[in-house]
This record gives sequence, C-alpha cells and structure tokens, in this order.
Amino acid sequence: MNNNEILLEVSGLNKYFGPTHANKNIDFCLRRGEIRGLIGENGSGKSTLISQIAGLFPRDSGTMQLNGRDYSPHSALDANKNRISMVMQELGVIGSLPAGVNIFLGRTGQFTKNGIVSLKRMNKAASELFEKWGLPKVPLAKLTDGMMIETRKMVELARALSVDPEILLLDEITQSLSMNNRQMLYGLINRLKEMGRSVIVITHDVEELIAITDTITVLRDGAVVGNVVSAETTPDDIKRMMVGREISGEYYRADMKPDYGEKVVLSVQNLTVAGEITDVSFDVHEGEILGFCGLSDSGIHSVGKAVYGLSKLSGGSVHLNTAGVTIKSPMQALRSNMAYVPKDRDNEALMIHASILENFCLPSLTELQGPVGYLSPRKLRKLAADMTKKLSVKCTDIYQPMDALSGGNKQKVNLGRWLCKDIKLLVLDCPTRGVDVGVKAYIYALMKEAKKNGIATILISDELTEVLGMADRLLVMKGGRITREIRRDEDFTEQSVIGVMI
Amino acid sequence: MPPEHIKSASATEKHHNPYIFAGLLIAGIAVVCVLFNILTGGRFLEGTNLAVIVSHTVYPTFIAWGLCFLFACGYTDLSVGGILVLGSFASCILGNWLGYPGVVLGGLVAGTLLIFLNFNVFAFTKIPSWIAGISLAMIYEAVAVFLKVGEKTEPLVNAELNREYRLLGQLPWSVVLLAVGLVAAYFIYNKTTVGLNIRALGGNREVAKALGINIVKTLLWVGLICGIFIGIASFIQQSYAGRTTVKTGLTSMFVVFQPLAIVLLAQILQKRINIIVAVPICAFIIYAIFNLLTILRVPSGTIQEAVLGAFLIVFGIFGQRNVKGVVK
Repeated sequence: MNNNEILLEVSGLNKYFGPTHANKNIDFCLRRGEIRGLIGENGSGKSTLISQIAGLFPRDSGTMQLNGRDYSPHSALDANKNRISMVMQELGVIGSLPAGVNIFLGRTGQFTKNGIVSLKRMNKAASELFEKWGLPKVPLAKLTDGMMIETRKMVELARALSVDPEILLLDEITQSLSMNNRQMLYGLINRLKEMGRSVIVITHDVEELIAITDTITVLRDGAVVGNVVSAETTPDDIKRMMVGREISGEYYRADMKPDYGEKVVLSVQNLTVAGEITDVSFDVHEGEILGFCGLSDSGIHSVGKAVYGLSKLSGGSVHLNTAGVTIKSPMQALRSNMAYVPKDRDNEALMIHASILENFCLPSLTELQGPVGYLSPRKLRKLAADMTKKLSVKCTDIYQPMDALSGGNKQKVNLGRWLCKDIKLLVLDCPTRGVDVGVKAYIYALMKEAKKNGIATILISDELTEVLGMADRLLVMKGGRITREIRRDEDFTEQSVIGVMI
Repeated sequence: MPPEHIKSASATEKHHNPYIFAGLLIAGIAVVCVLFNILTGGRFLEGTNLAVIVSHTVYPTFIAWGLCFLFACGYTDLSVGGILVLGSFASCILGNWLGYPGVVLGGLVAGTLLIFLNFNVFAFTKIPSWIAGISLAMIYEAVAVFLKVGEKTEPLVNAELNREYRLLGQLPWSVVLLAVGLVAAYFIYNKTTVGLNIRALGGNREVAKALGINIVKTLLWVGLICGIFIGIASFIQQSYAGRTTVKTGLTSMFVVFQPLAIVLLAQILQKRINIIVAVPICAFIIYAIFNLLTILRVPSGTIQEAVLGAFLIVFGIFGQRNVKGVVK
C-alpha cells in the first residue's frame, strides 16, 4: 500500500444552482489512507462538493479522476460501484421500510432469486455488516420511522459501509451522535485509515476536525481558500480562514462561577416517562443555564420533551412557578411563556415548506392578533422583517421557504422566533446541531443575552464542550436517571463528567 | 464486537410480535362473530350466511390490494372506480362473446391498460395525481356509457353477463382467486425489489432517487401491478353481481368507498400486522358488520353507512393509541 498514491483528484470543478455559483474551480486531491476534513460556513459549498463525488448530481465543468481513470458518476449507485459512498447531512432513510431493507435499497438484486427478495438473507448480511464494523446494534426488521435520529444515522452509516468503500464521505454526521457513538465513529475512521481507505469528513466542530483528520480543506463562498495539515494548525487559524476575519476562540462563557438568581422558575419533581426517564427531579433558577448531558440512551432528550408537555408522563410533575401552573401539554407550556427548540429541527420544529414569515410568526400569533382574531399582515411582516434583520438571516426575503435556507439560518429562525416573545423558560435540545462556528458563536451570544435578561435555560446537548462552556450547573444522566450534579465552580471538566456518564 | 456501552442505539425502542397480534385479532373477530350470532338469533353463523359474507369480500379485497400499491408510492387515483366499471363492461362484453377467456381477459386487459395509462399520465405530465384522476374518471365513465349505448344521451346504463359465465364470482372459485391474490400481493409488496422500491418512493422520493431507484420506471410498475389487481377485481365483480351499472357525473367514485374503508382500516392495523394480510381481515370485518346490520333490518344506504363511518373512527382511535404525533 502506497500512502502517497493519489486516489481521487478533482480539477477545476464548477457547479451552479441557477444564479448561485456553488463550487468555484475546486482543485482537490485525496490520497490513499488519508482522512480529509472539509470545513466552511453554512452555504460554503462543502455538501455540494462531496455530493458530486458521491454521484448525487453532476458537475457543470471540471474533471474528476479516481485511481487515475476518468470518474463521472451519473448516480449514487454508480458511485457505489466505484466504491464511493456517502452518509448525507439530512436524514436519508425511508421511514416506511425496515432498517435492513434501507441498508441495501437500490441494490436488492444480490438477495433476489426467481424474483423474490430474501429478507432473511438481507437482514443476515446487514447484521454481519454491523458486526464487522462494530456498529451499535439496530433492530433490522423494524421500520425506521419510529427510530431515534442517532439510530437512523447508524442505518445510513451501515448502508455506506455496505459497499466496502475505498472512499467514505461523511457529511455532518457527528453532530447527530452522542459521545459514545462519536467515539465509535472515530475508531471506525481510524480503522478505515489502517486499511488504506480514505475518508472525507465534514463537521462544524473545528476541534473535532483537527483531532480526527490528517489534512483539512477550508471552503469559503464556494471556493477553496486553503489546505492545511491538521497537526500543524489551530482552531483559530481554521475559523479565520473560514469566515475571512478574526473569531475569538472564547465564544463560550469566560467565567467559572455559577451566576443566577435565587428565584426558582421551574420545579420538576420525580418526572417519569415509561421506558425513557425515571424519577428525574431538578429546579431551574432565574437567569440560570442548566445543562444536561449523557450517552445515547441516557434520556437527556426525553427530559426536554417531557418538561414541555410533549410526553405522556407515568409519574411526577413539572411546575412553572412564574405562571403558577403545572405543565401538562405543549399548549399550556406555550401559554405560560415556555419555549422548546427540539433536536430534530426539520421534522419537529420548523414548518419546512412554509415561509420565513410564517415560521417567525407562528408562536406569537396570540400576541399579534387583533380584535376578533384578525391578524394584520402588516404586523406579521414587521415582526418577520425585524427578526430577520436582527438575527442576520441570509435569505432573499421573508417569503422565502424555510427549506431553501442553510442549516445555520434555519436554526436562527428556529431559535429567534422564541426570543422575540416574553419567555421565562427556554428548553434547548442540541441548539447548535449542524451550524457553523459563526452561527454557533451567535447562538451562544443569544443564550448569554437571554441569561442576562433573567430567562432560565435548560440546555441539553450531545456536545460536552458546549454544556461545559455554557452551563451554570450540569446534570449528568445515565440509564434515564440523574446520576450527578456538578456546579460550574466544582469539578467542571470533561474527565469528571465522562467518568460519570460511562 | 462493539464495546458494551455502544451495544444498542435503540434500547428504548419497543417491538411487537405480529404473529401474536394476528392471533389475538382473529380470536377477537371470532368472539365478535359469536356475539353477532347471539344478536341475530343464530342466523349470523349459519353456513349460507358466512358464504354470503365471504363471497362479498372478494372483489373489494382485490381493489383494496390495488389501492395499497397505489398509496404505498404516495399517489392517489380517483379514477379507479371508473376503470373498474370499464373493466367490468369489457369483461361482460368479451365474456358473452368468448366465454371464460373473454371474462378474464376483458377485465384484466382493460384494468391493467387503463391504470398503466393513468400512471403514464402521472409520471410524464407531472399533474397532481388526484386532479388527473378526476379528469380521467370523467372520461372513463363517458366511455363506458358510450360503449354500451353507442350514443351520448343515456346517463345510466348497465351490462349483464350471461349466467353460464359467472363461476369466478361464486364460491369456491372466488376464494381460490382470493388465496392466489393474497400470496401474489404479499410477495410483490414485501419480497420483491419492485415492491420495496414502490414503498421507498412513497416513503421519501428524494432519498429513493439518491439511492438509485428509477422513479419513472417504478411508477410504471405501480400502474401495472395496481392495474392487474383492479382488472381481476373487475371480472370478479362482474361474475359475482352479474351486472354493472354506470352513470356519468363521477358516480363511479362511490364504487371504491368501501375498498377505501378497508385500506384505511388495514393502515390502522399495519403497525402490528402486514397491510396485505390485514386487507382481507378488514374486508371480512366490514362486510360482517354490513351483514349484521342487514339481518337486523337496519336500512342500507343511510344508517348502515353511518355505522360503518362510526366504526372506522372508533377502531382508528383504538388503533392509534400510543402513536406519537399527528397521523395524517
């Protein structure tokens, strides 16, 4: 195996979407056994580039060579035949089909005899695949519809690995994974490297990218602005290249002491959701950011849903002291000035085919409506325009559909539509999932502003650095229970938290 | 082997055994039948009455299977009733002329060709299928009337199949067809690449495309498969009833209401039991209820339909227990 051997060479690649020049003269070279990071702001052309390599859409000009031969995939299947596969940024599974079928969909011929597909053989092959690559087990015969995001990502990863890829393309997969599965993925990437396979990784986590890659390509406005060796660079260098200006590394809180009021805003007692969380009790104070972290099955995401009245409780209560009510439904939570930003932005939070205006205005309709429920178009337009300007949402106008926005801009709308209301409690579940460092810094700034204004925040996150960087107190969960509380001025380090989580 | 702490990504996800559920469902139906029998003074479980119920469920079951494929790919075709009528007419005309080969070929060819034609329209014109379906239904009804009377003025016509060619709609032959249909539908839906591709298309068109599934080809396959089931339904219907009546003015859409109710019921059950298997079970349940109401002299066309609607809602409420979110 020659590690200097060029596996994939991209030269002068251009891609246009209407008037948008998404990739500009990209020159890119991937060596055998190389782990290459791709980074850039939302909308910088990263996904466009690897989508062309994966055969999802054709290039407009330029050349690609794979193993020294011309490479022009006309479909994802064609790319698979050339042993290139990809895990997509947005969820790429068919909910109405079982996990095992999803893995081999489009390639079911290998399990077909006399026109009949053997699901047994297919599931066996899928099971062997999970075993071979050390992936966490997934119920293969079950429809992917009811599965957690993380489980569905594992199905996608298994599908990508099923072609025994020479080049594996990972588009923002780590931010959907909890810490334990991220570790598994890092191990998998190393294993592929040892096997002489190459991986292209896209992630917005700069520190993670530096840690797991050999080299990094930085994109800005569709063009490559630099290639660096990971071991010889720093997060600040990368951020500077990405945005073209200085971004401070300290976008988390600089203080190391809990800082919040005495007044209890929310009191949760013995909260239990069957099969998810058990006897969870905590208080959140005025101006406090209360962090939750844990492994994939720890139940942290269930806490957010249960607090907002979205889950059927088996026991316990959620009392919002500011309104003097016990929360039993999302409607009651909304009316009591609570807000919830779920992890699955596209499916659970936003009306993805509706406009920016409609998404901004929906939670505030009660405040906006006039006599006999009349909604003044002028008021709606003003709210949406003001918030779009305040949050610097990159869009053509307030009537643009949400699905045309980049991940970071969608998240600005998702979070911002609550911040324009008089809220008392904010429940954030992975608020920076799939957003670049610039937007991330902006979201943290919004959280700090909310804290300053006395808003209590529950911050649930799969990113340990995020909760450690922002929370006043941290609740570590394991197996659906709170196992430890750590204050910001105590043993507030990754090592101490990981010790409790695992 | 994966480390212990990552052994499962879905420890909290629940599993159901479909065989246990199917057993419980059949046991439940048996208990309800006994109850119906008591209510009707022993008439419900009489052999002849059960034969009437079973005979009556066969052709709607075939229509419902066809609709399952249609809905699985994410399309709606409101012209199915019109095609069924045309298929029945073709079955009648060719049957009276050629005997049994004509009965089968008439329904099968007309049903398959027309649904296939519809899917060509959906696939290539990109007109929303429910709009195109209504337009096509109007055309098919008019063609059916025109075929029978050769003129444009009669709004209501019927076609009658000779008595000696009606065996395929009678027991035990209709049940034999039902069994063959069940096996075929089950295998196509669950165990063929085409079946999986159809479901993938309905599940997420963009993902299906990204995975290399040919969308147009898959749509044409739906047209072919759905057409065969509707075609079979049309000659069974003609053989069972002996005659088909048609009116213009979109009246053919009413023909598929009961099969739609069957599919709706089967969709409610499908999280526990395969939809193809659920279809004949649900057809039996619905026609058993109609039969009970008829024996109890409840007026048909009004109160019977209202009871069916109420039953579907109650059944749906129980069926959707523990389902999170909104069911569309």
